Amino acid sequence: MVILPRMRRTVAAVSLLLIGGCASPLPPTGAAHPTIVSLNPCTDAILTEVADPAQLLAISHYSHDPRASSMPLAEARRFRATGGTVEEVLALDPDVVVASTFMPPAAAQAFARLGIRVETFGIVPDLAENAAQIRRLAALAGHSERGEALIGRIDAALASTRHDGAKIDALLWQGGGIVPGEGTLIAHLLAHTGFASHSEARGLGQASYLPLEQVLADPPQVVLAAGSERMLTHPVLRALEGMRYERLDPSLLYCGGPSVIRAVERLAEVRGEV
Amino acid sequence: MTLAARSLTVAKRLDGVTATLEPGRITAICGPNGAGKSTLLQCLAGLIPPESGEVLLGGAPLPHGRERARRIGYLPQTGEIAWDLSVAALASLGRLPHGDRGETQVADALAALDLTRLAARPISTLSGGERARALLARVLAGEPGWILADEPLAALDLAHQLALLARLRNVAEQGTGVVLVLHDLALAMNHAGRVLVLDQGRVTAEGTPEQALAASVIETVWKVRARWLGGPGSRALAAG
Amino acid sequence: MTRPIPLFTLLILLAIPLSLLAGRVWLDPWSTPNAVVILAELRLPRAFLAVIVGAGLGAAGAAMQGYLRNPLADPGLFGIAPGAALGAVASFWFGYAASAWLLPVFALAGAGGATALLALIAGRSAGVALFTLAGMMIASLAGALMSLAISLAPNAFAMSEIVTWLMGALTDRGWAEVRLAAPLTVAGIVLLRFAGPGLDALTLGEPAARSLGVSPARLQWLLILGTGLTVGAGVAVAGIVGFVGLIVPHLVRPLTDRRPSSLIVPSALAGALLVLVADCVCRVLPLVTELRLGIALSLVGAPFFLWLLLRMRREAWL
Repeated sequence: MVILPRMRRTVAAVSLLLIGGCASPLPPTGAAHPTIVSLNPCTDAILTEVADPAQLLAISHYSHDPRASSMPLAEARRFRATGGTVEEVLALDPDVVVASTFMPPAAAQAFARLGIRVETFGIVPDLAENAAQIRRLAALAGHSERGEALIGRIDAALASTRHDGAKIDALLWQGGGIVPGEGTLIAHLLAHTGFASHSEARGLGQASYLPLEQVLADPPQVVLAAGSERMLTHPVLRALEGMRYERLDPSLLYCGGPSVIRAVERLAEVRGEV
Repeated sequence: MTLAARSLTVAKRLDGVTATLEPGRITAICGPNGAGKSTLLQCLAGLIPPESGEVLLGGAPLPHGRERARRIGYLPQTGEIAWDLSVAALASLGRLPHGDRGETQVADALAALDLTRLAARPISTLSGGERARALLARVLAGEPGWILADEPLAALDLAHQLALLARLRNVAEQGTGVVLVLHDLALAMNHAGRVLVLDQGRVTAEGTPEQALAASVIETVWKVRARWLGGPGSRALAAG
Repeated sequence: MTRPIPLFTLLILLAIPLSLLAGRVWLDPWSTPNAVVILAELRLPRAFLAVIVGAGLGAAGAAMQGYLRNPLADPGLFGIAPGAALGAVASFWFGYAASAWLLPVFALAGAGGATALLALIAGRSAGVALFTLAGMMIASLAGALMSLAISLAPNAFAMSEIVTWLMGALTDRGWAEVRLAAPLTVAGIVLLRFAGPGLDALTLGEPAARSLGVSPARLQWLLILGTGLTVGAGVAVAGIVGFVGLIVPHLVRPLTDRRPSSLIVPSALAGALLVLVADCVCRVLPLVTELRLGIALSLVGAPFFLWLLLRMRREAWL
């Protein structure tokens, strides 16, 4: 009969599925260089530096988006990206999943249910934590030496951009008119490169809103505008006497890791010109 | 069984109304605006609890809930129908107190009102007269012992008014009690078997139409001088 | 006239296996790792959850439209969905990550709170107008408190997490959510079905309904509890999924005799089918990540709403 060969194939496929399904999805491996899927652009940037390309099975779709990426786009495109769903992660079958602490609750619970190892990383508040996260990720990838190398590069950049002289009053202004608080990485970088935080001096906390009029009424020496909305790019900001207006790429502010190097270099550049 | 009101009092609307209504004929409740006609009807239907007094059905207090709904069918003044049901579906709503589909009873009700060929038509496609009959069919489908209707003829033109009254008379003659709140005194005079006249919450007159709607009553209650013209069954009211 | 219940049941039974094929990952049984896990632990429970959530919302929508005698009514009008969402947002503040149950429990508590508040305000009078106003008040209050909570979020990531969750999705849900939502939704639908005869009687207006032996208070309780359970369970597992309750009764009505009681179960089935299909579309669209279910249904729902309004304008009656 014609059907028989097809039936046999189907039976074989089903049995394969059943047998394959009997094995647990991810044995926690003591492998030296575990395979990793990263779901967060910040960890993407670090992992592309410290892990082997073959280890990093996928990065997040944010890194493929020039508006959200924290790493060079060309570099990011070398890796495949997932939409962050558990299904996609499972289909890649990694040993470890690296994610931000702000993972969707359903995804976190699904990973836990399915016994998948997840390592979460929070927002970096200062340089010490930045180094700690890099070390942790490098150790995860089994390449601690690369982690140290990256930290070394960051430290070198920091050393070369250190400004011990007078601090210039600078306002870092982000999308939505908000300003960063004192417990943030960028606040430390500003201080390091010779800026005094205008918003901090006026008692504004993290994510406080600073309207344009207030900036004009009480202008800092430098405005660092990190965004392209009207409030941040208003012509009057450039026209104001005694205040310098500089643009800052917002992607320098999303994460720690390698983007710290680019951030301090840009800040030092601005500092040098003032 | 008789439907009786004993000293019904509802604040500002009814004041010690006592009346006994018999089945088998049309009883009309008439009165000027604000006399309490609708309130009385709703009390008889068990929809408004009186502050004092009681309503008796067959000598016993009016039952509640579905038991009462099986005995008394109420047709409110505003014949609102929220959904564009078919005539048959509308009529079948009358079976809700019985909890059954009651297809026979629905069919009989439709037939009694000459709606059988319209059974599948959506009510939005009906004329005013047909719609009024459909709403009445809903009440008939429940096979109540009493039908209480609040101004069922209000929005109908003359021919439809007369047709509906004729059907109500048929229904009454088969043993059902029919109580209608009527504004039109001539219709009450010509078609009711008994008339109850209310004024400011009290029963002012009661009796046959000739008695209850006599010219003297009309002058006292409606404050209009008028006289009846025409012969029995086709009386007209001439004001002035 | 096609019988809606067998029709939709058949369609659902066909759609569930087909939905297993829909996803961002093309499953090749021979080569895709964890294919069975993906099917058994992600796609299959998700299909069931879509059916459950859709059924609850569809039934709630039909019951609400019957009760308010308004074809434009949506389950959200009772304020229960916003109440549940407020509970869920509160759980984000208390660190939902502490336990997998915290978020759904908070959401159900929020739904219960909104339900109780509604019963408290409108319960005694049992009138539909007051009831509607009470529901809208609760909805605005819950919405305002939610906006406040979101604006107080400590950082942009926390805020975006809450906002994203609120947009409604079935992504990455599993059997735990099914076990939570199924009994509550079924109980809710049963209560709504019991409300059927009362809703039928309401077709004729409140006085006529009372004359038919309907107890307005009992009807209102059945509605409040039924909607609280179905909508609360839906929000607890999926966030705010709108428009299903609004659209589905209209799609189903022409297939029935238009009595409100005849709409409840068919609307549940049609709602199940709609959410299942919409969820498959969300999974299959080639965007950077899954489209949020709430967004997909709104994109479909808004034009449908407009079409509905235009049609109502053309005809005097619906």
